[in-house]
Amino acid sequence: MRSEFVPVAHAVLTELASVVGPKNCISDPAGLRTYECDGLTSFRMVPGAVILPATTEEVVEAVRIARRANLPIVPRGSGTGLSGGALPVPGCVVIGLSRMRSILEIDLENAWMRVQPGVANLDISKRLASAGYYYAPDPSSQSVCSIGGNVAENSGGAHCLKYGFTVNHVLGARVVLGDGSVVDLGGPVLDTPGYDLIGVFVGSEGTLGIVTEVVVRILRKPEATRTFFATFPSTDEAGQTVSDIIAAGIVPAAVEMMDRLAIVAIKAATGLDWPDVGAALLMDVDGPVAEVEHTAAQASAIAARRGALEIRRPTDEAERLLMWKGRKSAFAAVGRISHNYIVQDGVIPRSEIANVLREIARLTTEAGLRVANVFHAGDGNLHPLILYDANVPGEEQRAEHLGGEILKLCVRSGGSITGEHGVGADKAPYMAEMFSEADLQAMAELRCAFDAENRFNPSKVFPTPRLCGDRPGKYVPSPLELSGEAGRG
Amino acid sequence: MSSERRAGTDADAVLGAIPRWVYSPKTTEEAREVIEATAAETLSLGFIGGGTDVQLGAPMRQLDALLQTGGLSRVVEYAPADMIVTVEAGTTLAKLSETLQQHRQRLPLDPPALDRATVGGAIAANSFGPRRARFGSVRDLLIGISIVRADGTRARGGGKVVKNVAGFDIPKLMCGSLGTLGLIVTATFRLHPLPEMEKTVLVRSRTAAQVRGLVARLKAGQLEPTSIVALSAAAARFDVAVRFEGFGAGVTQQAARFAELQQREGEPCEQLDDVDAQAWWKKHDDARTKGAIRAKIAALPNALETFLPKLEAVREHLVDSILVWYASLGLGFICGASSDLAAASRALADARSALEKANGSLTLQAAPQAIREWIGAWGTPPPAFSVMHRLKERFDPQQRLNPGRFVGGL
Repeated sequence: MRSEFVPVAHAVLTELASVVGPKNCISDPAGLRTYECDGLTSFRMVPGAVILPATTEEVVEAVRIARRANLPIVPRGSGTGLSGGALPVPGCVVIGLSRMRSILEIDLENAWMRVQPGVANLDISKRLASAGYYYAPDPSSQSVCSIGGNVAENSGGAHCLKYGFTVNHVLGARVVLGDGSVVDLGGPVLDTPGYDLIGVFVGSEGTLGIVTEVVVRILRKPEATRTFFATFPSTDEAGQTVSDIIAAGIVPAAVEMMDRLAIVAIKAATGLDWPDVGAALLMDVDGPVAEVEHTAAQASAIAARRGALEIRRPTDEAERLLMWKGRKSAFAAVGRISHNYIVQDGVIPRSEIANVLREIARLTTEAGLRVANVFHAGDGNLHPLILYDANVPGEEQRAEHLGGEILKLCVRSGGSITGEHGVGADKAPYMAEMFSEADLQAMAELRCAFDAENRFNPSKVFPTPRLCGDRPGKYVPSPLELSGEAGRG
Repeated sequence: MSSERRAGTDADAVLGAIPRWVYSPKTTEEAREVIEATAAETLSLGFIGGGTDVQLGAPMRQLDALLQTGGLSRVVEYAPADMIVTVEAGTTLAKLSETLQQHRQRLPLDPPALDRATVGGAIAANSFGPRRARFGSVRDLLIGISIVRADGTRARGGGKVVKNVAGFDIPKLMCGSLGTLGLIVTATFRLHPLPEMEKTVLVRSRTAAQVRGLVARLKAGQLEPTSIVALSAAAARFDVAVRFEGFGAGVTQQAARFAELQQREGEPCEQLDDVDAQAWWKKHDDARTKGAIRAKIAALPNALETFLPKLEAVREHLVDSILVWYASLGLGFICGASSDLAAASRALADARSALEKANGSLTLQAAPQAIREWIGAWGTPPPAFSVMHRLKERFDPQQRLNPGRFVGGL
């Protein structure tokens, strides 16, 4: 997908450059092309300008300039997103936060930390490691993806089964709104009176404002972690094992499933000595020693009972990390066995795993393609990797169509069109599969309360453009407004 | 319209306002019709569940009609294998718990008065109890919601799978919104397994500094209690209960390790048997619900020592007062009765001002009319109030849902 390049007027560029400095205001064609897509490379659009501010004040100035020139703004973190959330729109100013990467404040005793949005997810945990603390959400791209991007996407990761997602670990944020005002949402102290604005901001995919500081919750490292890697003849036994483990009252920190094709790809990419089997599970339990000894033994017994071919336990932390590296490299690894592939992200109720995998296999055969499945089995978050060869005429279209069919299957099964990658540009057309017009309208109201001019990331998330316009229904001003204590706007 | 309607009486008063009409819909569709019909007449409308937090907030500017959610009490869908449940908003937490127990599961949301507190009320009032320390608050457990908007339109957000980032988080928007944006009609929660074992360890008569030390010790020891609650009935002294839950082996080990750490500090503790433990947690629940004055305080967890003199100053003007402090969360409640309302007001205002300076808050969960008028229920509106104001305008343009009850007069 490629549209015409729309340049930003020279006068506006000069203004932007005066705020961030000429070298942080990119307008040359080669420089701009670096920002034409995010991790979803099939969607591309060269932005009108890219600026890389260093402070909240610079972001504010840039937003004001863009507003005066009536230009759309697309916020961007590390550009690792997989739904086109940071995909430029024609003639936009991309505000990249990669230079804002300072850790501002650490309060171990009260278990929070204040960081700039460009800080890489993993760098938070690295900084805390010596003190025995960490930041829980761990998307596979955690060594490069930024915390600001995580806030936008409400990123998950393997360990969110037990620990939750970004939204459960972000306590507050400083945000620049479309009119250039700066607001603090939430903060280190819980239960700020009023609506849970930080709760709605996280996961808003860059459509409500630009985050310039993030307050994250940090956790004490668990006393012990036990990991096992179990192989199975097929995904049926592996899926049943997961269901039985959960039914036994065990809450694993993570349970990941890989099918045959995914295992083949991971082996090809990493050289891990995993066997050729129909499916594998990688599971972590963590917590106090006696608790995890018990749950790990229980879970192993369940796997054995359900027909596990082999159960491996890492002998040391290095081996454990290697197993996880295998899993986390799965997306990229698929590149070893296919020219091109689409990373899909959908969710189904856990109890539907076996049925849905069979249906995906059927749809895949019908489409004449191959799909590798890697997923967070504990919470039913599927990542079908659809393999295709762009050089074969029609194959890319078939792959995209299959991706859409899989999403519809997820929704039919009671699930969601995205578990962690976001809607972005990619899945906006599928929102109507999940939500009614009235549901989308309620979301649009929320959007309008933050960004009435549709300044940030227009054309994302919603299937059809929505204007804020006049407020719905008969408007009655509040007494505060009449008394001048609060204004409209 | 088919919903039952009757004239309001004194018993229906919400924060001093007696509604002209009280509606008791039996289905979510009837509830929707009430909202649509009252919209047509621009009637102001309040919602009430079990009434456990009926005193929360500022008095409404007007209350023409009140909608009771008690008739909406069906379990819509319970999928034990997926550990999710969808229930109607008027379902009490106790009834929900009974249903879930059959599959050894629970919703670890434990505000006091479970037999009266409803799902919808708990969401709207952001109610919580001791287990928030481990399982988070209602926002961390709620995965989907269905609401009726001010104009009578139904809207849904989230879904029924735990992991889901499709669209804006309408469920979070409703958490703590106190019926000012719409009526919650159904809610979907993620569930947790019932623990195999539960043990409570009690440490008596600690100072605020010792409470802080105790929390630090639990963390340093990598122990993972599900509750840490300090109760103070006498000035500046706290009894601290630490609860461990999980599989037997883990719970036993953690309780023993905690006792050992305490011993080493020269701070003895006792492991309560089941009867005593239950009695202690009941005492906690009673403390949270007693007294005509109940103020919620929020500060950083280690700030108890700093603010204690201000909190004690409030208690000096209360009779039978109790201070409940959730030591790892930085949240607490001062509850009691007062004969000198003016003095209590001044002390509350003083404590609030100190807390607000440290980005904390003091809000009235219950208070006599006079105190509410003197110091207001909510304190200084938060920094992002302008956005909240616009949200209210977008969701309730007629300003008729619980008008004036929320922060900053929303």
